[in-house]
Amino acid sequence: KKKKRVHSALLVERKGSYLGLCLLLLPLLLCDSLTQFSPIFMSLPTKRSTFSAASASDDSSYSSPPMKKAKNDLHHSPQHPNTADKVGFHMEEDPTPAAANLSRKKATLPQPTKKLVIKLNKAKPTLPTNFEETTWEKLQSAIRAIFLKKPFSFDLESLYQAVDNLCLHKLEGKLYDQIEKECEEHISAALQSLVGQNTDLTVFLSLVEKCWQDFCDQMLMIRSIALTLDRKYVIQNPNVRSLWEMGLQLFRKHLSLAPEVEQRTVKGLLSMIEKERLAEAVNRTLLSHLLKMFTALGIYMDSFEKPFLEGTSEFYAAEGMKYMQQSDVPEYLKHVEGRLHEENERCILYIDAVTRKPLIATVERQLLERHILVVLDKGFTTLMDGRRTEDLQRMQTLFSRVNALESLRQALSSYVRKTGQKIVMDEEKDKDMVQSLLDFKASLDVIWEESFNKNESFGNTIKDSFEHLINLRQNRPAELIAKFLDEKLRAGNKGTSEEELESTLEKVLVLFRFIQGKDVFEAFYKKDLAKRLLLGKSASIDAEKSMISKLKTECGSQFTNKLEGMFKDIELSKEINESFKQSSQARTKLPSGIEMSVHVLTTGYWPTYPPMDVKLPHELNVYQDIFKEFYLSKYSGRRLMWQNSLGHCVLKADFSRGKKELAVSLFQAVVLMLFNDAMKLSFEDIKDSTSIEDKELRRTLQSLACGKVRVLQKNPKGRDVEDGDEFEFNDDFAAPLYRIKVNAIQMKETVEENTSTTERVFQDRQYQIDAAIVRIMKTRKVLSHTLLITELFQQLKFPIKPADLKKRIESLIDREYLEREKSNPQIYNYLA
Amino acid sequence: MRRSASKKKSGQSAESVTTDLFRSASSKASTKEMDRIDHLFNQYANRSSSLIDPEGIEELCSNLEVSHTDIRILMLAWKMKAEKQGYFTHEEWRRGLKALRADTISKLKKALPELEKEVRRPSNFADFYAYAFRYCLTEEKQKSIDIETICQLLEIVMGSTFRAQVDYFVEYLKIQNDYKVINMDQWMGLYRFCNEISFPDMGNYNPELAWPLILDNFVEWILEKQA
Repeated sequence: KKKKRVHSALLVERKGSYLGLCLLLLPLLLCDSLTQFSPIFMSLPTKRSTFSAASASDDSSYSSPPMKKAKNDLHHSPQHPNTADKVGFHMEEDPTPAAANLSRKKATLPQPTKKLVIKLNKAKPTLPTNFEETTWEKLQSAIRAIFLKKPFSFDLESLYQAVDNLCLHKLEGKLYDQIEKECEEHISAALQSLVGQNTDLTVFLSLVEKCWQDFCDQMLMIRSIALTLDRKYVIQNPNVRSLWEMGLQLFRKHLSLAPEVEQRTVKGLLSMIEKERLAEAVNRTLLSHLLKMFTALGIYMDSFEKPFLEGTSEFYAAEGMKYMQQSDVPEYLKHVEGRLHEENERCILYIDAVTRKPLIATVERQLLERHILVVLDKGFTTLMDGRRTEDLQRMQTLFSRVNALESLRQALSSYVRKTGQKIVMDEEKDKDMVQSLLDFKASLDVIWEESFNKNESFGNTIKDSFEHLINLRQNRPAELIAKFLDEKLRAGNKGTSEEELESTLEKVLVLFRFIQGKDVFEAFYKKDLAKRLLLGKSASIDAEKSMISKLKTECGSQFTNKLEGMFKDIELSKEINESFKQSSQARTKLPSGIEMSVHVLTTGYWPTYPPMDVKLPHELNVYQDIFKEFYLSKYSGRRLMWQNSLGHCVLKADFSRGKKELAVSLFQAVVLMLFNDAMKLSFEDIKDSTSIEDKELRRTLQSLACGKVRVLQKNPKGRDVEDGDEFEFNDDFAAPLYRIKVNAIQMKETVEENTSTTERVFQDRQYQIDAAIVRIMKTRKVLSHTLLITELFQQLKFPIKPADLKKRIESLIDREYLEREKSNPQIYNYLA
Repeated sequence: MRRSASKKKSGQSAESVTTDLFRSASSKASTKEMDRIDHLFNQYANRSSSLIDPEGIEELCSNLEVSHTDIRILMLAWKMKAEKQGYFTHEEWRRGLKALRADTISKLKKALPELEKEVRRPSNFADFYAYAFRYCLTEEKQKSIDIETICQLLEIVMGSTFRAQVDYFVEYLKIQNDYKVINMDQWMGLYRFCNEISFPDMGNYNPELAWPLILDNFVEWILEKQA
């Protein structure tokens, strides 16, 4: 304790400065040596002080400080709270305290004071003749009495004296041998008494314990009596064992002469432990004592530990097999955890601590290591499916004990792949794929955090597996992610707050990261974004912009350039519309009653739309022309092209049951406006007057006459529009709302649109491959096939098969951009 | 390169070093020979076009007692460096027959086995194989040949040497839908394939090398079939 406090003082000082530390080290060493030799030094100060006061007063200033300090440090009396400081100060004066001590000794020794004359008594004291025999008899009877547990007549002091006396007369060697002989007889007898005891094992064990306990008590008593032997004889003769050691040696010897006793004891111990493992209460103290006996005799390792570990191994091997069959995995793991805890307790309670490591290792091997694969096979999927984080955590902890995390990681990987594959490959559930993947990922994240302690390699495994599974199917997942986002970003998602939307976007982005064909995503995202922007269906421009900036940080500005351009166009269009309204052209030439707003889109930013012909009603034509005139006067040299398929209108309609406003597409408007002049028109009439493309017109008419909102009536009735069908204005139209949307058809993606978007992506990829090949070959001139393929894989960012590359290379050979080297067909030459 | 080599073998270049006297003598002989060659040409040539046309070739074949689809006729065309399928020009005819030193039908007939030997020499065969493809390009700017013709051509050119490969490849070409025509690169690829790849186990075929894709698919198809 004292030493500790010096240390703490040192620590305080250490914080102050490094210099202080160097100075302090020496006194600390000094203190250590002082405490070791304390009995010698402690007496010195008093003696020295008398001397130094008389003679060496000049020395005292030198020598006393270290001594005083040493004393302070040792006792660390509370009245010196700043001892450490003092220590620091004194050191410089006193670099070698040992030397100081020496010099003091020299100064004091040659101080003779008086001469004494001592006269010797000439008569030599003699021993009684039978001194040795009587003394031994006395001791012998005492020792026998001790062994027989009988009271004896001598007091212990006199026995001690007797030993002392014998030692004084140089009879210690003989005495030692006699005592040894005496002990051997008794120990042998005691152990022999255990031979042939056919009692119950537990009873036998307590007999052994009793025997050992007695032996210990008796040997201690004998040792106390013969302490002088230990102190003088044994110390001086390195080959002689102390009395206690001698006793142990004898006990060991006779135990080995009676192997039956040792074997029965071990057997008894093992059976007791097994009983305890089978949940029976056993006498732990007895176990503890007997095991201590084994340790004391030095036969613990060979006689007990080995059979014990073997038994343990057998026991748990059997148990492991049995339990694996009987119970399910989580239960089994719980059991294993319990067993490990129990065995640990066992080591604290009675088994020697050295056994802990091999014991626990044995249990782990038998209960875990051998069953790793079965456990994973049988239980992992269930646990993952059930999201049983606690059981999974237990599994992880237990597996980490036997270095089986790699197996667990592999199981996790294959689980994620298998489960994900089901989600991704099920074409019928394409609609829910993204949501299912998001849910799956979220649950995996929870498990990773709560069960796998955010283990890095597990995290990477989840990521890798996800990347693998999401790309199992080409293109479709990317497309579905884009569509999922469209759904979320589209107006009409009531009930989702900005925050919720934002967090959904964030989660979807995680999936997006795994997608290899990001160009597919971009194409579909762009197509949907265009519709949201042009038809005014975006839920929130803020959310849109946040998504764009997320994509930008993810893929770089090149990826989002065009998307951002789309937003710019929308904003610019607003300004253009404003200034158009203010312009003289608009004010003077426009007929009233129609409001028009125009989106001016930059080609290249937006998806390409096939031009769709339509004959606009005169009113609308005028507007288009005047706007065109205005726009070109402002921005000369540009080419304007009307994208009729993207236009939408709000029409006011007079039904007999009330006025309505109809939100319709431009095509729908054109069709409906025909009915301003006629009540009834045939399909062919409408086709002639609008010149809308046949399929598109059928779709348009279907949406007006066969959908939910039927402002036209078709004759004959039916779902599909056939040649010769007639259409009539539905004057009886009724609806609860004033404003009615009929243009949902515009938001819907047609099959053609979908295939053309996908095709465009593929076309684009081909161009990119061709360009990359030519770029590489142009710089390299000559390149082997393998190297070219490797470089292409590095440059191209979408998923691609070597066969695709070969196809493009062959096409370039065909088009004479490349040729094969004549002598080696594995090498390509660039043809300028 | 090869052409000049074959000329050397016919011994003409050695003679060119000799004196004028000899030259005039030999040239007299060669004029006579050339006359006979021209005579033979006129025997088969169409009067109006002054070409040996398909009809003439057929007649020639029957006189030579070989089928017009016989590889030796194709070899003869190769020797003449005939450019247009089914026709021999006067110049081509002279070039070929002079090289073969044949000025009569019976001499030509006798020269054919020797010609076949020459073509079958590995150094010549690749050239002949490529020539066979070019020979089938009949249209201006045509670069590829339809599957049906390719099958026939393969039969003629490689049928005797790589029977198994040709059979399999023809079968494959007929059932697949990816290719309607074969281009020169693919054609030459097949030649290398036949020469280099152990058949039919494909043990040394590596699709990661620059084999044309059609061969990758072909090998995949065979292996699937074998499994």
